[in-house]
Amino acid sequence: MRSALKYILSASMSLAVVAGAHAAEPLKLKLMAPIYVDGKGGGIKQPEGVSCRGNALVVADTGNGRLLRYTIAGDNWSPGGEIVLPQLPFPIRVDVNSKGEIFALDGKSRRIGRVAASGDFLGYVTPAGEVQGNIVPRSLRIDRNDNLYILDVSSARVLVMDPSGKIQREIPFPKEYGFFSDLSVDAGGNILLLDSVGKRVFRIAKDSPETKPLSKSLDEEVHFPVAIATDKQGTIFLVDQNGNGVVFLGPDGSFRGRRLSMGWRDGFLRYPAQMCISENGTAFIADRGNNRVEAFLVTE
Amino acid sequence: MTLRTKAVLIILAMVTTVVVASSHAQDKFRLKPGAHGKVCLNCHEGFKEKLKLPFLHTPVRKGDCSDCHNPHTSSHGKLLSESANRICFSCHEGIVPGKARSAHKVAVEGNCVKCHDPHGAKNKNNLLQAGNDLCSGCHQRLAKEVAGNKFKHNPVEKGCLNCHTPHASANTLSLLKSDVPGLCVACHKPDVPAFGKAHMGYPVAKSNCSSCHDPHGSGSRGILWGKPHQPVANKMCTQCHLDPASPDALKTRKGGYDLCRGCHNTQMNEILGRNRIHWPVVDKVSCQNCHRPHASRETALLKGSQLRLCGDCHGDTIERLDKSVVKHKPVQEGNCTKCHMPHSSNNVLLLDNTTPINLCGTCHDWQKHSSHPIGEKAADKRNRNITMDCSSCHAPHGSEHKRFTWYDVKMELCVQCHEQYKR
Repeated sequence: MRSALKYILSASMSLAVVAGAHAAEPLKLKLMAPIYVDGKGGGIKQPEGVSCRGNALVVADTGNGRLLRYTIAGDNWSPGGEIVLPQLPFPIRVDVNSKGEIFALDGKSRRIGRVAASGDFLGYVTPAGEVQGNIVPRSLRIDRNDNLYILDVSSARVLVMDPSGKIQREIPFPKEYGFFSDLSVDAGGNILLLDSVGKRVFRIAKDSPETKPLSKSLDEEVHFPVAIATDKQGTIFLVDQNGNGVVFLGPDGSFRGRRLSMGWRDGFLRYPAQMCISENGTAFIADRGNNRVEAFLVTE
Repeated sequence: MTLRTKAVLIILAMVTTVVVASSHAQDKFRLKPGAHGKVCLNCHEGFKEKLKLPFLHTPVRKGDCSDCHNPHTSSHGKLLSESANRICFSCHEGIVPGKARSAHKVAVEGNCVKCHDPHGAKNKNNLLQAGNDLCSGCHQRLAKEVAGNKFKHNPVEKGCLNCHTPHASANTLSLLKSDVPGLCVACHKPDVPAFGKAHMGYPVAKSNCSSCHDPHGSGSRGILWGKPHQPVANKMCTQCHLDPASPDALKTRKGGYDLCRGCHNTQMNEILGRNRIHWPVVDKVSCQNCHRPHASRETALLKGSQLRLCGDCHGDTIERLDKSVVKHKPVQEGNCTKCHMPHSSNNVLLLDNTTPINLCGTCHDWQKHSSHPIGEKAADKRNRNITMDCSSCHAPHGSEHKRFTWYDVKMELCVQCHEQYKR
């Protein structure tokens, strides 16, 4: 009996220590080689968008008015060519579907352009059928089933379209919020909305019409978050534009830590704009003010 | 000893304790007979004049100086038995309700003596001054405006307390006695024909009156805010709203910026034609995120000063600015639009020029002959894709260092790039 008690006590102590260590230690970001140039050695300028899917990495090279493709191979990446389109003169947000098609939000026309894997422009995204109200996308996201999620700030809603363009869901923004700048879809199909002004994350559960706060206001932890991303484990990453850092939240919205700071050298950020996490756990950050894409291996 | 005896003894002991304690409270300093209310005046002779004032604080009138002062020693100034900003609350608790919707800053801070004399005064409630003069002491800008108004609001002239409560309001904003429009319609009856006529037949009885009217008076007829929107000044409500006879008369003819575009088409085209939009311009609320539709005291019908308005969303920037020891002058003056374009821009951070060098050069012409290389040909050693500009060394809003540099000039700044000189 005594030995059983001893065993339980020591097991619970070990658990507490492990859990405590996990809660105290935020994820680490190990610096990898940043991306400064395209395939021809030309410099990147004010990139605002970055997306990774499979071994494809797409960068919205906003200042140069083009999209850049890279191929990820393990811990390395190689340039794959540029896409310059008159229909997308100012790409600011990008995502890629399973066919390698690029969806890019153009900041000037505020429309989402669809680009074939070949680089040909396939047209602007328009919902099939009738949709009430104007659509002004602030951001977009594509899930693993190629459904397109549009953060429509004009009509204060999230639009979910299937790959054929048919509207699947239309979820209104909650009553109380500051300004939504970005959205993400986690591995479970739940939609996450980032309120830059309220400094909190909202969650729309899969198949639920309701938008509920996931995190408390992160007033103490973040300055002005502008982009949100998730990884396979459900960790939520917030890009803090004015705070020049990355904030980690648990799947339940709890604060898990903060990394990076302002600077010009590799490993630092200046007004970062968007980030993505590749399947092998590399975080790519569009480091707008530093004219590059930073890469970090996310580790425990 | 029986149980009953024990109980009687306990009760007796309790009663004795209470009696002793209360008598001690009544005369805690054991004053000599006849000294109460007089002993302090033996030394504080000048205070006798104060006692002749028509309005006296109750403890003063009763001669209970020790209600507020400790005659022997104290940790607080003037031998007060509590700190100056808390002592009043020991009797006047609840002056500021815990969940007040609005509260007077001085009351919250316990700065009661800003308005009241703690001993006595010529004015009721021991107020330092009578009527609006008291409020004008702090609210000087408003008082000046009120005095200069061509069209006065009668209750303002008669007294601020006609509409406001002095300490806090549990349910209303701006310390109002009741919410708008309830407060206004108590005098301005909506069922009077003149009311309907003045509002072009629109059903505004439940609208926010201060959306158009300055409650303190104005230079415009109908006490409209100083800078009314032209259609409002021209009584052309139908330019934006549906016909007054329609069931939904107050609804606007269009939503978002489409409504404003009806008149401001050229400006809207310019705004929407630039590369980078300030996103609130195109959201559901659109122009009204920053502008008032009817009238404002600010230029361009802004909802408030730039620092306040921009700070509503960019509070983090304002907070950092507040912490900066050295501030950039336009930022200090709250002139955000000196460098940023509020609606849209072709430049990053909505800057009002193509490069930071050009932007800074609009005020600082010295930078054009600066000895340190800057510009397209001056590479930043820290980053191969960056060239040197003003923001390479200076934090544009402010910093803790002289000339708002990012780092200390003597020890840290130059060696960011010139590492060979690092000590």
